[in-house]
Amino acid sequence: MPDKVQWVLDYKESLAKAKSEGKFVFLDFFNPQ
Amino acid sequence: MDAVTYPNLKVIDFLQNKLVPLQLGSNAEPYASDYGVKWTPNLLIIDAEGKVYHRAVGFIPPLEFIPWLLLGMGKASFEKDNFTEALECFERVITEYSFSNSAPEAIYFRGVSQYKSTHQPDGLKKAYQLLQERYTGSEWAKRAYPYWLLP
Repeated sequence: MPDKVQWVLDYKESLAKAKSEGKFVFLDFFNPQ
Repeated sequence: MDAVTYPNLKVIDFLQNKLVPLQLGSNAEPYASDYGVKWTPNLLIIDAEGKVYHRAVGFIPPLEFIPWLLLGMGKASFEKDNFTEALECFERVITEYSFSNSAPEAIYFRGVSQYKSTHQPDGLKKAYQLLQERYTGSEWAKRAYPYWLLP
């Protein structure tokens, strides 16, 4: 198991991954500053 | 979230195995505008078409986070008429995370999912009874109030 969350950083890539794996997406909008 | 919740090992395991974890800055356009992001952290459960099913603004501690995710996954499955998966999610919140803020809403939606899948009112009545017993005064106990009138 990874020792930290391995985030997808591209919106379209995450939707494609969700579709292929039959999962939902957890989307975290964070403050980049 | 980055300092406390995301480093939690159970959270890491859940996010990696049960969901696709996506992180975007609140300046990532057009997505921030499309999702109406005005404050962070802004946390959402969405499907593969980008539709939103569950949302929270603000920090969620580790013990509350997994039940919050399960509740969102259950609500998403419910909206898609996948009551078997929805019930599995709600059941986990109710049995494994009964202490959490997500539990009353999970009880409510378990009852609704049972009704939608069986067309029998028993699930709704049980939801009302359980919410009155365990979470009396909660928002979801009030929302279930009309179900005590069911035959």
